[in-house]
Amino acid sequence: MESVLAEIKKQVLAYNRDGVRELAEQALAQGVEPLALVETLREVIAGVGEQFASHRVFLPELVGAAGAMEAGMAVAQAAIARRGLQAASFATVAIGTVAGDIHSIGKNLVAALLSAAGATVLDLGINVPVEMFLAEAQEYQPQVLAMSALLTTTAPEQRKVIERLAAAGLRESVKVIVGGGAISAAFAESIGADGYGGTAPQAVELVRRLVGRAAGRTDGR
Amino acid sequence: MALSGFKRAIPPMQILPEEQVLEIQNGVLHVLDTTGVQFESDNALKILEKGGCRVDRGEKRVRFSRRLVEEALAGCPATYTVHSRDPERSVILGGDTLYFSDMPGRGILDLGSWAVRPATIEENRAAMLVLDALPNFHVLCAYTPYFDVEGWSPHMSITESTAAKIRLSTKVQWTGYQEDCELFAIEMAQATSQDIIGISCTSSPLTFGADACESAIRFARAGLPVHVVSGCIMGATAPVTVAGSLVSFSAEALAGIVLVQLARRGTRVSVEDSVLPMGVFSGAPVFGSLAAMLHIAAFGQLWRRYKVPLFANSGWTNAKQMDFQDGWEKSLTTLVIALSGCNVANFHGGVYGELAFHPLQALMDDDVAGTVGRFLEGVRVDRETLAVELIEKTGPIPGDFLTSPHTRAFIRQELFLPQAADLLTYQEWEGQGRKSALDVARERMEAILATHRPLPLPEEQDQEIEKILVKARRHYKDRR
Repeated sequence: MESVLAEIKKQVLAYNRDGVRELAEQALAQGVEPLALVETLREVIAGVGEQFASHRVFLPELVGAAGAMEAGMAVAQAAIARRGLQAASFATVAIGTVAGDIHSIGKNLVAALLSAAGATVLDLGINVPVEMFLAEAQEYQPQVLAMSALLTTTAPEQRKVIERLAAAGLRESVKVIVGGGAISAAFAESIGADGYGGTAPQAVELVRRLVGRAAGRTDGR
Repeated sequence: MALSGFKRAIPPMQILPEEQVLEIQNGVLHVLDTTGVQFESDNALKILEKGGCRVDRGEKRVRFSRRLVEEALAGCPATYTVHSRDPERSVILGGDTLYFSDMPGRGILDLGSWAVRPATIEENRAAMLVLDALPNFHVLCAYTPYFDVEGWSPHMSITESTAAKIRLSTKVQWTGYQEDCELFAIEMAQATSQDIIGISCTSSPLTFGADACESAIRFARAGLPVHVVSGCIMGATAPVTVAGSLVSFSAEALAGIVLVQLARRGTRVSVEDSVLPMGVFSGAPVFGSLAAMLHIAAFGQLWRRYKVPLFANSGWTNAKQMDFQDGWEKSLTTLVIALSGCNVANFHGGVYGELAFHPLQALMDDDVAGTVGRFLEGVRVDRETLAVELIEKTGPIPGDFLTSPHTRAFIRQELFLPQAADLLTYQEWEGQGRKSALDVARERMEAILATHRPLPLPEEQDQEIEKILVKARRHYKDRR
C-alpha cells in the first residue's frame, strides 16, 4: 500500500495524469482508504504549491502536477461518494468563464491553484450562462463563486450573475469573486462582488480570506 | 504626398539560416493542412468552403491547402496607401518603410502615484493633439489613446474613440470591434472619405471568434484594409518555444488572410505579431522581454517573404512607471522591430501592457522613434559625404570643420536631434533649472496644446459623424 501511494506521488510530480488515475484505481483495489488517497494527493500537491510560492516551480509545472492530482482525485471522490463519506476541504469553489467568453486559461490557472491549495473546485467551463451559475449555487452550495471575463463586452455578465443571485435570495450564502483581463478592482466593487484577484495566486489568497482560513493550510483541518 | 516614414537603407536582420526559415514555413503549411483553424462563424465557414477550403461544419474546423494559402497571399498588395482625409497624412504601408503607431492604455497614469485611472474627455483630447503633432508618429492605433474615458460606456468606447480620432487628427487609424461596433466605424470612414483599417484578432490557439470573423469580412467587403493580429502567449496559447509559437502564430495569421482574400480579393491586408511569453509564476503575459524580441526577429524574417505589411509591438513594457526599465525595454524592442524589416511599430505612449498611456511618454518615445528611424536610414557614402577633398583642403590643426559649408549642408541629415532628451552641457543644465527629460517633455506638451490645431473636419462631415454617434448610442442603449 505504501509503495502504491509513493508511486502516486512520483507520478503526480511527473505530470502523468493517466498514470495517476490508474494507480489511484489500483490503490483502492489494494484496500487503500479513499480518504487516505485524498490525503496523499493533497500532500504532494501542497508540496508543489509551496515550491511554487517560493518560485522554485514554474506555473506550467504546477498546473501539470495539479492536473495529474485531479485525475487521481476524481477516482478518490467517486469512491468517497459511493461510500457516503466526506472529504475535508478548506473551501468549495464553483468557477467558470462567463457567457460570450471562450477564454479558459486564466480560469484554469485559478482552478489549478485552488485545487493545489486544497479547495474543492467545481469547474463549470467556459461560456457559462447566468442560469448555470445560479443552478450550481443552488445545487452544490459552494462557499465561493468565481467568474472570469477576458473581454470588456462580457464583463457585464458578472454583474448579471450577481443581480440574479440576489433576486433568487442566494447572494448572502455565497461569496462572489471576479477576475480576468477585462476586470479591475474598481469594476468588481461597482458590481457588488466580494473580491477581485488580479492574478491566479491572488485569487487563492482571496478565497482563503473570504472563507476565513490562514494561508498555507491545505490539509482541510 | 503621403507621410514618408523612415526608409530602411540597410539590409534586414537575418537571425535564421534559410533552411530553418523553410522548416518553419513547412510547419505552418502542415498545421494549416492537417490541424486546420477553427472559425466560430457560419458566415466565415460559408465563405471559406465556397473558396475551396476543406470545412468540417460540425467542428467548425477549416483546413487549407498550400495552393489556397499561396493564392491568398498573391491577392494581397505588397505595398498600398492607407488614405487619410488629408492626403499629406496618408501612409504607404509595406516595402522598406517604417512607420510608428501608438500603444494605447486602459487609463491614464498619475505621475505621482503611478496609479491608473480613467481619462477625462479633456485628457483624451490633449493626448490626441500630442499624437497629431508628433513628427515621428504616423498611424493611430485602435482604442487610442484610452479605452476608459469618463462618460463613455464600455459598449461605446471603440466607437467614441474612432470618432474622436477622426475629429482630432488627420493621421490614419485602425479600429477595434465588439458587438458590431465596426459597422459604425465603416460608416464613419465612408462619411469622411478616408480609410479606417479594421482588425481581426485570433483567439489562440488556432481559433477565430465570430466577432473577429465578422469584422474581417465587413471591412474587406467595404473596400477597407484589414489588419490580422495574433497575440498568442508562448507556453499558454502557443508552444513555449520561439519556433513553435511562430508556427502557431503564422498558421492563425495566414488563415485570417485566406478569409479576408476570399471575402474580397485584393483587400489590403497587414499582419501583426503580438506574441508574448507567459510569466512563469503569474501566467500573465510578460512584456518587453527577450523572448518577444526573438519572436519579432524571426517573424520579420519569415513574413518578409509573404510580402504583406508587418506590424509588431514595442510600446508595452513590464515597467509600471516611466523609468529606466520602461525606456530600455521599449527602445530595444523598437530597434529589433526596425531591423527585422517590419513596417509599423506600435510604440508611442504605452506604459505596461495596454494598462496605461501617457502623452508625456509619447513625447519621450518620439525621440526613440526618430533615433531608430534615422539609424534605419543608414550611412550615405558618396563623393560628397566622403569629403576627401574637404579633408585635404582643411588639413591638420589649425584647420577645422566648424565653419565649412559642408558641415552646414549635412549636419541636419547626419544627426538626429531628440526633442525631450537632455543634450545640454552640465553648466547649461544647471543654468536652466536642472530639468529632467520629463520636465522637458511637459514643456513641449504645453507648447503643443497651446499652438497645435489639427486640420478641422469639414462641418458637414462633422455633422455626419455626430449622427452616426447618436445612432450608435441609441443602438447600445436599446440593446442594454
